Amino acid sequence: MIHVFHVSKEFGRYRHALSDITFDIERGDFVFLTGPSGAGKTTLLRLLFRDELPTEGQIVVNGRNIGVLPHSKLPYFRRSIGIVFQDFKLIPRKTVFENVAFVQNILGTPVAVQKRRAYQVLKQVGLHYQMNAHPSELSGGEQQRVAIARALVNEPVLLLADEPTGNLDPALSEEIMRLFAEIQIRGTTVVIATHDLDLIQRMGKRVLTLERGRLRERGSPPAALVPAREAPFLPSA
Amino acid sequence: MNRGAVRHAFVEAWSICRSSPGRTLLAVALIAISLYIPGLLLLLCQNLARLAARAEAVPAAEVTLAAGADARALALEIARDGAVRRVRIVSPEAARERFERNFPDLRAPLAQLPDVPFPTTLEVELAPGARSAGVLASLAGRPGVDSVSADAEFEQRLKDFVSLSRRASLFLGGLLAGAAVVSIASAVRLAMDQHREEIEIMRLMGATEATIRAPFWLQGSLEGAVGGIAALGVLLATYGVVTMAMHRSPHPILSIFWVHFFPLRDWLLFPLLGLAAGFLGAAASVGRRPQG
Repeated sequence: MIHVFHVSKEFGRYRHALSDITFDIERGDFVFLTGPSGAGKTTLLRLLFRDELPTEGQIVVNGRNIGVLPHSKLPYFRRSIGIVFQDFKLIPRKTVFENVAFVQNILGTPVAVQKRRAYQVLKQVGLHYQMNAHPSELSGGEQQRVAIARALVNEPVLLLADEPTGNLDPALSEEIMRLFAEIQIRGTTVVIATHDLDLIQRMGKRVLTLERGRLRERGSPPAALVPAREAPFLPSA
Repeated sequence: MNRGAVRHAFVEAWSICRSSPGRTLLAVALIAISLYIPGLLLLLCQNLARLAARAEAVPAAEVTLAAGADARALALEIARDGAVRRVRIVSPEAARERFERNFPDLRAPLAQLPDVPFPTTLEVELAPGARSAGVLASLAGRPGVDSVSADAEFEQRLKDFVSLSRRASLFLGGLLAGAAVVSIASAVRLAMDQHREEIEIMRLMGATEATIRAPFWLQGSLEGAVGGIAALGVLLATYGVVTMAMHRSPHPILSIFWVHFFPLRDWLLFPLLGLAAGFLGAAASVGRRPQG
């Protein structure tokens, strides 16, 4: 699903955000991208949805070398992936439904289909009763769930999340992680950038650790970090 | 662009206009003013041009007779000329009556004069296509004729004035339209800055540049078109008010040519010009935005 080959990213002459990063993520994987603040997690995610271009190296996402993707094709590429941000990035003047159905709306999907699909994904995140609310009327956790619903509405093959629990309390963070686990079970590849080691340890998923722009660790978290209970946030179904 | 995107563009454009009513009203007002002022000048020019054309269609001369000249015999003699269509004798009394009708305020001072100060004149209407210079020379050479004056000079001056005024109106209109384009561009740029975060989100969600920009193009065009309609409305109101005022108290000069508004087919030009100015302004602004 994702192939990153010797990717480096520099901002200006002296700021090396990422240095010679290489890794693969298979279809249907659930991967945590972690590291301290300033390690390059957000930069790497931005490279994956081509908000930035690498200074060196190649990135292939879902079979496309996104470094050479023409600008005109970029919107279509982004519609195939879902993105969730720490600050939710919801449009305040639009309702929950309008935020979720935005891409389907501009694609000309009939309103009835938009409503049905938005209802499905909002039900999946437990907010189907809030379709007509505005983001300002929702709690932080609810807003994040709307952002996740928006990311899911196009049935993306890849879901990228940048610190999705950064603004949430531990209980809400667990709830959001449970949602991501459900999404992965349905076949979507999930990549989450977070520095919440506690969550990572309890999830027991593959971890990529960045430190000062370099990839330090690959694979599952150390055995000592995996909790006794096996993957407590996986859904029961 | 599919139907959904078009619908989205209209809904967003309306939403952008509503999101900052003050800015929208200002842009509409600037467009309206920039179309109203040259519109009013062109309306005046159009009526003056009609007056000039009418005067030109029927060339005429006024022949002032010397004291003791036989007006009737001279009129008959002049009327025999093939270049003359009609001759009318204006007696001193008729001239006085006409003067009093046109200048009622001067009636009292006129009454105090011992004699009627108006000489007998002949109003000579020339046949269409007649060479006025030759006819006028022949009239001036006749016995009993004191002087001959023609409208030709006045007509020429009027035509020159109308032509100059029209060019000045178009020039002023061009300047004001340029200012309107700049003001619309500023309004659209302001709207884009206000919606910068939304634009960024739209890009991240997979909206195309056309989808992102279309509402702003529409915003500028809508504001321009509404400004054009407002200019037409205010122009109509001005025309109506002035016409009513003319009916109540006729003005000796304005009443002559303040007779017609623009023909219906020209009305459409106002919203169309406004729309074009708005679209240009929006295109100038939206086209300069970075890709994000």
